[in-house]
Amino acid sequence: MSTTTVPDISHNQAAQSRWAVETHGLTKRFGENVAMNGVELLVPRGCAFGYLGPNGAGKTTLIRVLLGLTHADAGTMSLLGYPVPKHRDLALARVGAIVDEPRFHGHLSGRENLQILAAAREPAARDRIESSLERVGLLHRADDKVSKYSMGMRQRLGVAACLIGDPELLILDEPMNGLDPAGMAEMRDMIVSLVAEGCTVVLSSHLLDEVERTCDAVAIVDRGKVIRQGPISELLAGASLALQVECSEPDRARSLLEGSTIGAHIEVGPLGLGITLPAGTAREVIAEINRILVEGGISVYRLQEIQASLESWFLQVTSRLGAPE
Amino acid sequence: MPTGAMIATRFMELRKRRGLMIALILVNIGIPTVFLLVRLLAHAFAPKSYGPAGGYDVYTGLCTGVLYVFGFIVAATLGCSAGSVDLTEGMFRHLVVTGRSRLALYLARIPAGLAIIVPLVAAGFTIVCAVCVFAAPTRLNYDGVNVPAGLSRAGFESWAGNHPDIVICDFPYNGPGLPNVPCGPNGPVVNVPPGSQGLAQITPSQLKAAALLIARQDYSGYATQFLYPSDSLMVKTGLWIELEALIGLIVGLGLASLLGQRTVAVILMIVLEIILTPIFSRAHIPHLLNLQRSVVGVAMAHLTPSGLPVFGGGGGGPGGGQGNPLLVPESTTVAVCVVVAWLVAWTVLGAWRMMTRDA
Repeated sequence: MSTTTVPDISHNQAAQSRWAVETHGLTKRFGENVAMNGVELLVPRGCAFGYLGPNGAGKTTLIRVLLGLTHADAGTMSLLGYPVPKHRDLALARVGAIVDEPRFHGHLSGRENLQILAAAREPAARDRIESSLERVGLLHRADDKVSKYSMGMRQRLGVAACLIGDPELLILDEPMNGLDPAGMAEMRDMIVSLVAEGCTVVLSSHLLDEVERTCDAVAIVDRGKVIRQGPISELLAGASLALQVECSEPDRARSLLEGSTIGAHIEVGPLGLGITLPAGTAREVIAEINRILVEGGISVYRLQEIQASLESWFLQVTSRLGAPE
Repeated sequence: MPTGAMIATRFMELRKRRGLMIALILVNIGIPTVFLLVRLLAHAFAPKSYGPAGGYDVYTGLCTGVLYVFGFIVAATLGCSAGSVDLTEGMFRHLVVTGRSRLALYLARIPAGLAIIVPLVAAGFTIVCAVCVFAAPTRLNYDGVNVPAGLSRAGFESWAGNHPDIVICDFPYNGPGLPNVPCGPNGPVVNVPPGSQGLAQITPSQLKAAALLIARQDYSGYATQFLYPSDSLMVKTGLWIELEALIGLIVGLGLASLLGQRTVAVILMIVLEIILTPIFSRAHIPHLLNLQRSVVGVAMAHLTPSGLPVFGGGGGGPGGGQGNPLLVPESTTVAVCVVVAWLVAWTVLGAWRMMTRDA
């Protein structure tokens, strides 16, 4: 790994770092395939951060590299202010993580599995086993063998395994996998409560709706590169503006608008006109559209701004849909 | 370094593998126990047909043929499990994410495995020792003849002089000086019928002298025969079997960690013990002698305690490993170095793979 020389760092210096996760030029190759291509990522402390990307974009690879499960080929990174891999032991002492599907020793109970993991952490971790099990709602099944657990229960046990380390940073890879709607809601509530307690939660997910409801900020990764990152509200503000117009004579309305100077993309659908305006378009343009239609003798029954969702924005910014790089 | 809690939880993880534990107990304790139990019952119900359950011969046979081999295989199986299950069951990445050094995670498995395998091997060995001592024969059987045990050279010669018929006809002798005495169903035929060619009349004093001659030659062989194993032999054998189990555990652990799976590693360990070691121990291949000496099984054969036959059969007597003409020659120092080198090398290899492996 062609990392730069990293100086020793004290606990105080690490604690003063603004970023829970910081990477620069992080690169990882699997043969010819570049899984991470100079990833630049800054995750602020004390927030829920979504790491989004299509399949094969390199989400899990980044998490694995951050956690030391595999090595990077180039770049630098730090967790909670500690440069890794140099101070991985110090950094990971306050990190909890679930990578891929959480798997445990099936012949042991949930509690026994946690005892094994707690033994590898500091002595106080053993005292947190009961509270962790209680927090994820597994206390009543803690003495059952893990082989009898459902997928959702294993997911909860994975979270409990994270909590016994009293983490400042929680990294969750697809944490909603295998959870039923109630379980997803509980997981969402747990993430929110952890963030409220000062924990930073980084979660990768395909479930954009869940991420939008849970996270304060996101990064979009595509083909191994972070292409956007920031607070969700700021990112969505940069999305294109969509309008739905229900009116008489939609075809003539479309002609009128295309003949104007508003520069919109217009489609005629079963619900009327679908109008997409470029990002940053002034709101006065909406009034202008209404005026053009009314002055053209078109009856406007409804004109509605469609709120940009994370999903629509995600689809706009990722180039996965067949577009060559 | 691993903490006590890490070792304790690793021990718990291995101990709670019920199927593995049952298999290990059955092989290492069950087989010799059942064998001895059958012999005890057979001797109890038909003492004239079945000899005592214990004794020196049973002890040497069980120690070399069963406990030594099965102890290794059992330990290797446990080592292979300890070296691979975290990886195959998905716990490895959980452990890595704790931030604990991978070396410590690896090293914790060694004392945990030993905490299981040492008592297991000791239990099987204790049962064998107990039965072989307490159910030993009361008279020594030397070459098919019941002889008092523990006689000195003078005592043995004295006994031979008092039983010349048995000694002359039933004891082995290889040398000159014996009168030409035919043996009949009741011992030597001393009253030769008139006209018999080449046979002379034998007097009792001549018979006694012949018996003493045979006894002098046979004493060294007799002296290696015991009713039951001595305390020192049992201690040495116990340590030797435990060392073999330690090797099985460490090599199995390292190999499984290297390969990342259990089944292939266990098969390779069994092949090493059952097939390769006997071949390398006995086949004298001039250009590969040093390679043969570097096989841990060959080294362990040389460390076989005096009083036990070398593993693998084929004769050689109960003279232990050193100087055994059947074995590839190797000094005790070299044998010890080979054993230490195997323990260190496989620990380093296993730990290195664990530290560099993607989790």
